Amino acid sequence: MAKIIKPDEMLRSINYTPPATDWMETPNDLSPGRFAYPAKLDKMEYLIHEIPGQFGNPRTWNPTDDDWQLPPNWKEIVVNGFRERLDKYRSLKIFMDICVRCGACADKCHFFIGGGDPKNMPVLRAELMRSIYRGEFTLAGKILGKLTGARVMEEDVLKEWFLYFYQCTECRRCSLFCPYGIDTAEVTMMARELMHLVGININWIMEPVANCTRTGNHLGIQPHAFKDIVEFMVDDIETITGKRLNVPLNEKGHEVIFITPSGDVFADPGIYTFMGYLMLFDAIGLDYTLSTYASEGGNFGMFTSADTMKALNGKMYAEANRLGAKWILGGECGHMWRVINQYMDTMNGGMQGPQMQTPVSPITGTVFKNAKQTKMVHIAEFTADLIKHGKLNLDKSRNSDIIATFHDSCNPARGMGMFDEPRYVLQNVVENFHEMPLGTIREQTFCCAGGSGLNTDEIMDIRMRGGLPRGNALKHVVDKHGVNTMACVCAIDRATLIPLADYWAPGVKITGLHELVANALILDGEQERTMNLRQEPLPGFEEE
Amino acid sequence: MGLEERIAERSKELAEKWAVLILGTYPPETQAVWKENRERFSNPVGHAILKASSELIPLLLAWNDAEAVAGALTQLVKIRAVQDFAPSQALSFVFLFKKLLRQEFLKELSAQGSLEELLAFETRVDNLAVIAFDLYVAARDQVQRMRVEEVKRAHVNIVRRANLMASDVTARKAE
Repeated sequence: MAKIIKPDEMLRSINYTPPATDWMETPNDLSPGRFAYPAKLDKMEYLIHEIPGQFGNPRTWNPTDDDWQLPPNWKEIVVNGFRERLDKYRSLKIFMDICVRCGACADKCHFFIGGGDPKNMPVLRAELMRSIYRGEFTLAGKILGKLTGARVMEEDVLKEWFLYFYQCTECRRCSLFCPYGIDTAEVTMMARELMHLVGININWIMEPVANCTRTGNHLGIQPHAFKDIVEFMVDDIETITGKRLNVPLNEKGHEVIFITPSGDVFADPGIYTFMGYLMLFDAIGLDYTLSTYASEGGNFGMFTSADTMKALNGKMYAEANRLGAKWILGGECGHMWRVINQYMDTMNGGMQGPQMQTPVSPITGTVFKNAKQTKMVHIAEFTADLIKHGKLNLDKSRNSDIIATFHDSCNPARGMGMFDEPRYVLQNVVENFHEMPLGTIREQTFCCAGGSGLNTDEIMDIRMRGGLPRGNALKHVVDKHGVNTMACVCAIDRATLIPLADYWAPGVKITGLHELVANALILDGEQERTMNLRQEPLPGFEEE
Repeated sequence: MGLEERIAERSKELAEKWAVLILGTYPPETQAVWKENRERFSNPVGHAILKASSELIPLLLAWNDAEAVAGALTQLVKIRAVQDFAPSQALSFVFLFKKLLRQEFLKELSAQGSLEELLAFETRVDNLAVIAFDLYVAARDQVQRMRVEEVKRAHVNIVRRANLMASDVTARKAE
């Protein structure tokens, strides 16, 4: 919701047709609710010290102020940073040159579909940067200026970047429809990198980045507290199953190190998914350890800059080496898997210790050749393989009250092509499953509108309008099939889809995949189960 | 033929025209895209606008089911409640139907001296606006409530740990 208008404005606005200004002339609206809060000064000072060369101009600032306290030579810094990146990344130069503005992407972004702001058409959002490219770096643009859609870097342009490159979740749905394969997410990444050089940033990303740098996880939880929290979940599993599980933390000499987003450890409902992992590992007797430093699979560095992403990602191999693990099993996360699948080998592949091997399931003997480079396997693949080989004892009837659908998280779907494994797992643990309509699932999945570090509450309006396409498809299966549960394999989804569903498709519960697996999973020596992982009565036990 | 009959007869056409007026509250580039595509899943806003206008006209004519009226308004009000609109702009779409009615019928009814028919019918549109206002406020309340609940959920185990620390202290005292 925008600002309250004054009575005289209201009278004038009886004609509700908005003025047809050209996009370059449309002024920036920096009303509260249209941007996420900027980073705290102490976080930026810390990061400048820890990850040098990425961040500039630490200060306390407010986007609603006219003066953003930019350094005097800010324009030079941004233009030089742009030039450096054009030289460094051939892809960026191509993405700047090659777009023919065919418009295939225009109506594919969830923020545009739900909100209707033309600057959220991916073509126009990228044009915010392309116009500068033409104005600053091409001869035609320098001479002909606006005739070629060129402009030069100005403060209003920077403010416009801040508004719109933080209304892109880097979900890459638009890229799917681009005949040239322009990766708009990478355009957003570059714009954010350039903004960081002059101190334009958001706290929802930078605080987790700072915390991750310091303690390994987004909330800055230290090892002793992490241990206590894992114990809570072991307590809860005991209440539910009567079994007390042993969860190794920071133990050397195990075959596997398990890394998952910390949202699974701290946040409802991710905690039930985490309990699900622990129960699965107990059921199959997996030789594994957790790490209190590699206690975060998520990597908000990806939403910050390439070097920050690399720095935060390094802990995965560092901990695998320190603890002597042969391979890494990764939990349900979205962007974590884009980092792993697309960037980790290039960035940090050289860190893999000699003990690391191509992952082999110790239970089924399946060799995960797809993970030969990274040595890291997605838990949905791992569990699908276990089920395929009949290694899990599952009682679907415990989930018989669930009518499920599956939300493909953008990054595992478009970033690693994982569509069928989670569906296979889901259909083996629930009795009722219905797909959302084609065009809204699999590679065309709609974003939760909270990815790329935008899952913060101060922009809830932006998230809700961006969440409309997903919510609308969900509502359809609620009305048609009585769907009451949406499963997903992403920690950000597990947080953001809850308000999305509350608003657009009330009555739908959000769960992780392994929460449902563990509900159905029969453990050796467990007591009769009367409740699910949320300690709600199982079907048939409602009265007790 | 009275006004209501005439509206009923042209119901589909009026629904389309009302929808065009509502689409006119969005920027021109957006209108172009949203007018063209009527598919529910790739264009949920365009679809919701036409659905609301199509469902509301018969309901305004029947005017005997407040719940059905609210039901037909809900999706569009919820959409506009989280779009980039001031509250007045968000709910302007209701009054655009008045604009349409006057555009289509005012001259004719005035010439016939039966303007009171229009005024009587417009009262229903005013009531529609009041129902929309309730829905709008409920949607805004929900957004704020979701913000608070989200923050609580994000730290559920941290809060639990903090509580445990307190009970540990008590336990030691009890010994």
